[in-house]
This record gives sequence, structure tokens and C-alpha cells, in this order.
Amino acid sequence: MSGRVVHLDGKPVVLAEAPLKGGGQAAVFPVEGDHGTVVKLYRDPPGPDQERRLARMLTMSPLAARPTDRSQPPELAWPTALARSPEGAFLGYAMHRFGEPEHVQLVGLFTRAQRLRLFPEADWRFLLGVSWNLAFMTARMHHDDLVIGDFSSSNVVVDGNGFVTFLDCDSIAFTDPVTGEPFPCLMHTTDYSAPERQSGSPATRASDDFALAVLVYQLLTAGNHPFGGVPHESTSESTVKDNIAASCSYVVRPEHVVIPRGTVDPSVLPPGLLTLARAAFGPGVHAPAARPPAEAWLRALDQERSQIRVCQARPLHTYGAHLPSCPWCERVTRTRHDVFNGPRPVPVPPPPPPPPVPVPAAHRFGALKVVCALVLLLAFIVVVAGRLG
Amino acid sequence: MSSEYPPTLPAEYADIEFENNAQRLPLVLCLDTSSSMAGPPIQTLNNALVEWTRELHDDVSLSYSVEVAVVTFGGQGVAAWRGPQPLAPGTPVSPFVPAHMFRPPQLAAAGVTLMTEALELSMQIVAARKAELRASGLQYYRPQICLVTDGIPTDATGHRTDAWHRLVPVLAEEQNARRFRLYAIGVGGITDFGEQVLRAFAPKFNATIQGFPFRELLQMMSASANAEQKGAGDEVFEKIFSQFKTQRPAWES
Repeated sequence: MSGRVVHLDGKPVVLAEAPLKGGGQAAVFPVEGDHGTVVKLYRDPPGPDQERRLARMLTMSPLAARPTDRSQPPELAWPTALARSPEGAFLGYAMHRFGEPEHVQLVGLFTRAQRLRLFPEADWRFLLGVSWNLAFMTARMHHDDLVIGDFSSSNVVVDGNGFVTFLDCDSIAFTDPVTGEPFPCLMHTTDYSAPERQSGSPATRASDDFALAVLVYQLLTAGNHPFGGVPHESTSESTVKDNIAASCSYVVRPEHVVIPRGTVDPSVLPPGLLTLARAAFGPGVHAPAARPPAEAWLRALDQERSQIRVCQARPLHTYGAHLPSCPWCERVTRTRHDVFNGPRPVPVPPPPPPPPVPVPAAHRFGALKVVCALVLLLAFIVVVAGRLG
Repeated sequence: MSSEYPPTLPAEYADIEFENNAQRLPLVLCLDTSSSMAGPPIQTLNNALVEWTRELHDDVSLSYSVEVAVVTFGGQGVAAWRGPQPLAPGTPVSPFVPAHMFRPPQLAAAGVTLMTEALELSMQIVAARKAELRASGLQYYRPQICLVTDGIPTDATGHRTDAWHRLVPVLAEEQNARRFRLYAIGVGGITDFGEQVLRAFAPKFNATIQGFPFRELLQMMSASANAEQKGAGDEVFEKIFSQFKTQRPAWES
């Protein structure tokens, strides 16, 4: 079934009836017969400001002056055309499609099950590389006088090579180079918002640097938010947002919060990166000038990329050169949880011993163990089938 | 699944995933399964739950944050479901299931409409879940309760009752304190009186929809969950909800 008709650069296209993604402000629709394009339509009629913003953006091509690897997708899902009704009313804009399965929201890297499903090869080296790409993208945008503004794990997608693309470009803050008109960022995502953003201040490079620090920390710890955990003295409704506002991060002050079990120790970050994280999540929370800029992250990440260690004991275990031994193996020993590998398949048990001979008690337990293993194996198959189904 | 957890794990943690530290979003579907829902409506609801579950599993940002519990009112009383499994009253097991593991129940319609008791049970399980999450150091977004009914509150003998009045001040206080967000939705042939009850329960987030557009309703819950993750203001939720109110009925002759 077809949806509505919109005009892109005067050319009519038909949108699919069901949006790919819908939020409170806008919905993104596929274009029929054009797999490579999507159209974002605003829910409420967008005002003349928004139309001017998009029209200006169409004349700009940021981050374009750089030779990129042929396999690298653009770093920005920049508008490609205005979308208008057949009567000419401004409704939204078209952009390239960066959808699943090729492009996955960053949040897909934050849990093991999703990582194994979407990025089966992803190890810590990969997460470090994605962090580098993210810091690079941020630094490049700042260099081009663009402020990301609404920077989160949902509006950045990553592909199989770890290349990142920022999706919601219509919220980017910039100043029109010709007229000097400022276009502020009106959106933000609370879990990545510095305190000043939460209290209504405009987006700045420093607020981007805060979000970048959170995202890099999450990547390097396989998904842990640095403002997770419940403060010992807190009201019952405390959230990540509250912890940010109160400058309460376990990376800096572990004694202040109940830390969720399963939290990866911050020491998996090499010292250079941990120092940056502590600056961002300590003094940098309330003092924007104290936050490490994207270039500082980029330099520190760059240093680590060349000296990654590979664990000999288990697949997908890579780690920083500052550690004497594999932190992921150490964690398996301590918690039985492997951050990078799924539960190991239960080995096929040997055939049961012939039953007639009476066996001492210990052996009977041996047989019991085999039965248990079989039951476990069955349970495992059922669970896996259930998850896949 | 048990193989994923250390054997020494205290029992009360057994349903909290070890590696998943994402901020949680508890979601209760509080569904009318009384006799008036029998036939096509309950079938539509079951089908919609299956479709929605599939979408939820595929959603990278919701599947590891949202936790789903189902409460039904119909038959002889109210029931909490852990995925497809009804829980015996007093079972010390949380009915909340991580969205990526959620499987929908197969619901049947019969019996009376203990709407008041079902909402009370929903509030209890939300409060209990919050306490469990907090004790584990896990944060949560504001939980959502979605009440869906085509009738009016009755007592256990199926007669209309005024017991629901006792809920109105409680719900007002709880929602003021931002302890959860309640959506109250009337479907099918709900009466004016039925609508009046829903308005009293959820002054801002109530709606009456013709037919049984459960599919759209569940998608609205997902959109609301997304907005909650983004930290949206109340006006965004009102917008999402008002869009839902203007949807065309999906099941209508």
C-alpha cells in the first residue's frame, strides 16, 4: 500500500505508508522504488525558520573536502532535497538512507547479545576504532563550525567497518556563513546532555565534548554509562539525567553509588584515556572549559590503536597495552561472564557407561552429571531457539 | 539461561541480566479480557501482541531497555503474566521480562471486569520492580502503564461498582509525583460512563477509539518509550498520544 506523494526538487515521489521510524517531532519514510533515499516529514507544519535552515544547508557541503576511503559512507546524513506537498508547502527533507542491516545505531554495540548478532567480529579493538572515528567526526564538525547539539547513541549509526554516520543533521547548530543568521540546536537527549544543556543553555562544542566523552566511555567499556548506578542518598526516581546534574559518576567517585553488578571496571581504559574520562566526568561536568576537546580524545585514542594486545586464550579478547594480562579473561574467572563471547556451547557428553555393574556413589554422581549436562544442553538449545525465533 | 549466571547468585537477582546495565523502562500492558472482548477483539489483540513483540525484538534501542509485564482483568479476577505464563497470585517472581526475551501471552476473553483491582496490581508490580532495580544499582525511566478496556469496572459478580472512585486520588498523586505515566484507552463499544471512568483515571492521557486498533496502540507505546529514552517533555507525549487518537480504526466493519 502506498502513502502520500511529496515533491523532491519538484519531482513527485511516493512514500511508503508506514514510517521506518517515528518520534514526537517527525517521522522518516522510505521512498517507493528508491531504496537509497528516505524522507523526513515533520509532524507539525515546520515554520519558515526551519525551511530557511534546510535551504541554507542544501548550499553547504561540510566535511566534503577530505579524501575518504572508498568504502566509507558519508559522515553526515546531510539533506539532499526539500520535501514539499504537491501544493508547494514545506514538509521536510530527503536524505540518503543509512538503515539496518548495514548501518546500526551505536547503542547496538552496548550489549553483548546485540553485538554478537549485528557485529559478530567486534572486539575491544573494534570499539576503540569506532571511538576514534567518533572523535574524528566530532573534531571535523567543530573544525567546520558545526555543533552536533543532539549527540546520542541513537542518532549515530555505525557500519561493519566501524565507520560512523551522524543522522539527524537538521538539528545541527550552525551560523549561516553568508547572512550571519544563527541556527541553534533545539533538540537534546538527556542521557548525553551536559548539565547546562539540561537547564536550557544552547548547544556548544563543549556540550558535544561531554556527549562524546560519554559515548567513548560506553564504547570502551562495552556499554556501561559513566553516570549509571543509584546514589546511596537519592530519591526513588533517580536517573542518568539526575546523576549527570549532580555530577555523580562512579568513574570519579565510586563510593557514592550502588554500582550495578556486571559493571566493567574503568581500569580497562588505558591511563591516558582514563585521565580524559575523569576530567570529563569530574570537574568537566559543571565546568565546560575543563572538558577534554574532541582533538584530545582523538590523540589519546590514536596512541592506543597501535599497541593493542591480543589474548591467546579466548577469541575476541583484545585489550590495552597498559594491562599485564587479559581483563576479559580475568572477568570470566571472577564472574563467569564473558563480555565478548556468548555462553559456550555445552560439550557433547560421552556415551553413558553400561548400567548393569553396581557403581560406587561417586560414579553414580558422575552419571547424574551426564544427565544434568544433557538437560542443560537441551535447555540451552531451547533458549537459543527461543531467542532466534 | 541459568548457565549465564554465577551459581551463587542470590535468587532475587535471577531475573536481572548480568551484563545489561542499560537504564530500564518498565512497561505494563493492563488489558481487559472480560467477556465483552470475546471473539474478534481478543483475536485482534493477540495478533497485535505477536506483531509488536517482533518489532520490539528488532529495535536496537528498546529491546534491551524496555521491560514488559502484562496484567489482565477478566475471567474470575486479575492476573499478572510473565511473558506467556500467568503467575499464580503471590508468586515471588517478577512479571517483568526484558523486551528482547518477551513472548506474548495467548489471551482468552471471559468473565468480569475488575478494572480497579487490575490497576492496583499494575501499580504494585511497578513499585516492586523499581525497588528491585534500585537494589541492583540500576536506574529506570518513568514506567508506563497502558490500560485498555471496552467496559466499565465491575465487582467479582459482574455488577457495576463504584469501587474505582478510591483509585482516582491515588492515581492523581502518583502521576503528580511522576512515578509512572498512565495511558487509559477505551475501545470497541465503550459507553459514556466507561469513558468518564477513563477520564478520571488519566485526565490528560485518555482516549476512546472506535474498533480495536491494538496494533496502532502498541506502536504508540513504543513511540512513547522512545520519547522517554530521549528525555522528552510532557508536550511531546501529549503529541504522540494525540496522533494516536486520530488514527483510523483498524478493525471495523
